[in-house]
Amino acid sequence: MLKMNNISKLYQTEMVQTHALRDFNLQVEEGEFIAVTGPSGSGKTTFLNIAGMLEPFSSGEYLLDGIDVGKLNDNQRADVRNQKIGFIFQGFNLIPDLNLYENIEVPLRYRGIKSAERKRRIEQCLEQVGLASRAKHLPQQLSGGQQQRVAIARALAGEPRFLLADEPTGNLDSLMARQVMELLEQINRDGATIVMVTHDPELARRAPRNIQVVDGQLADFTLYQGAQNLRNVAGA
Amino acid sequence: MLEIKPIFHALCRSKIGALLLLLQIAITTAIVSNAAFIIEDKVSYLSQETGYPEDEIFSFHVMLFGGDVSSHQQFELDEAMLRGLPGVIDAAYISNTPLSGSGSASDLSINPAPEPGLSARTSYFFTDDHALNTLGLELAAGRNFNESEVIVTDNNEQRANVTIITQALADELFPDTDAVGKTVYLGDIALKIVGTIKKAKGPWLKDSRPDSVALIPYINPNISGNFIVRTDASQRAQLTSTIEDEMLKNYDKRVIVRVRGLDEAKESYMAQDTLMMRMLIVLITILVLVTALGIFGLTLFNISKRTKQIGTRRALGARKSAIISYFLVENAMICSIGLILGCIAALLLGQLLMQHFSIAALPTSYIAGTAIMVFVMSLLAVFGPARRAANISPSIATRTI
Repeated sequence: MLKMNNISKLYQTEMVQTHALRDFNLQVEEGEFIAVTGPSGSGKTTFLNIAGMLEPFSSGEYLLDGIDVGKLNDNQRADVRNQKIGFIFQGFNLIPDLNLYENIEVPLRYRGIKSAERKRRIEQCLEQVGLASRAKHLPQQLSGGQQQRVAIARALAGEPRFLLADEPTGNLDSLMARQVMELLEQINRDGATIVMVTHDPELARRAPRNIQVVDGQLADFTLYQGAQNLRNVAGA
Repeated sequence: MLEIKPIFHALCRSKIGALLLLLQIAITTAIVSNAAFIIEDKVSYLSQETGYPEDEIFSFHVMLFGGDVSSHQQFELDEAMLRGLPGVIDAAYISNTPLSGSGSASDLSINPAPEPGLSARTSYFFTDDHALNTLGLELAAGRNFNESEVIVTDNNEQRANVTIITQALADELFPDTDAVGKTVYLGDIALKIVGTIKKAKGPWLKDSRPDSVALIPYINPNISGNFIVRTDASQRAQLTSTIEDEMLKNYDKRVIVRVRGLDEAKESYMAQDTLMMRMLIVLITILVLVTALGIFGLTLFNISKRTKQIGTRRALGARKSAIISYFLVENAMICSIGLILGCIAALLLGQLLMQHFSIAALPTSYIAGTAIMVFVMSLLAVFGPARRAANISPSIATRTI
């Protein structure tokens, strides 16, 4: 699903060169649920940005679902993001002037999906996150947990095979964090590949596979042979 | 892909900025369309064809203070001297300078006063048989005055009995027949029309009948008089600078004033209108610029307010063109509503101006033209900031700002 070979990311100013990622290698298989941890400034967000094609890398090779990302132009990257990746952000990133329905509709409009199909998918996703009755509400009328569920619904509406979550529970209290995590686990069980960046070790432990980023490199690699892998085996 | 519905909903939810901009666009449209019409009116007034080769003609005023000469004889000598100057095509005495804002007018009637009959208010100049050539006027029919028809006198006993009138005036007084040979009356003075001029303007361009002009061959200068001189255009400046000396050489007990080209006389007469037109141009330019800056500023403000939102949209799959089109569509929607209100306001303002300042009705073409101009201007104003927005990196979505 995702394969990074010797990915490096160099931030350069007139005075300083900073290696945010250095010879970063990672392979993520279809259906995995990976937690990415690491101290602040270790390069987690840079990894997430590159994985989500939100910023370019300096060298190396990145294949997403067989597509060589380094060879794509800006428009093609936007299209791949739209079609293959679902994003869940720490701050939810819902558009405050749009109601829940319109927020979830945003990526679908960019894909050019017809109105009736958009409606079907939005209603289905809102149902899935338990907010079907609040489609006309504005984001600020919801709690943090509910907003994150809307953001998850938005990520799911495009039916992506790959979900990137950036501290998805970072702004939530523990009860809401648990609910969101359960939702992500459910989505993973339904077949989506999830890469989740988190500071929270407890949350990370719930993911079947953990990776740690330190100083821009993959420092530790721990495999939790949990239900996910068992499911893969069973599926095979 | 145009996101008209969500943009409209988003605008409805945070409408203050949009409302202010909409009002600005409406006010700009209303004022600019009316001002543009007034300017166009002024431009056609200021640039109207007068019938005179203005850059070849200059005039001056003479006041005698020596009582030792007969003024009409002296003026005849002056005319002869002027016509002999190198570079001079012709020269004539004239009671007032055309286009200068100073002159005489009266009713010219087809019957002698007090008999009722068709009449037309006309401006008239007392001049001589050199006036046509000096003023560069072209005859439409008939002939020029001959020398014997020109009355030169120091008293009011002799009267002129012929006239040359403009074709416009002839058509008014004699709509169905040839005016040449007919008699018209200035009060009880009978004047036989010996010729018609294709085109000439009177002293007042602002007059409702600037084309009604009559030339009457009569010189009664008393102690002061006007001369008009036609020269090669290239020599006019030199002649105007030496004319005072030449005149004083001929006879020195007099004062020569108001030596100026016909175009300068016209310019001076039109100065207020020119000033008003320039002020209107400045006003509408400032107004359009302020509106453009308003749109530019509001878009920049919206972009800085929505940086994260734009990054998120990019992360969710928006191409750069989608971000640009978002801002263009948003602006076009605000602008369209503003323009609808602006067009209505322009019509109302036009009616108000028509009632209070006797300005002609504002043609709808001016409103449409202004609306198109404002719309294009608003799109141009928003395009730069929109491109800037499109360059916001999608990675901004993962940053905490």
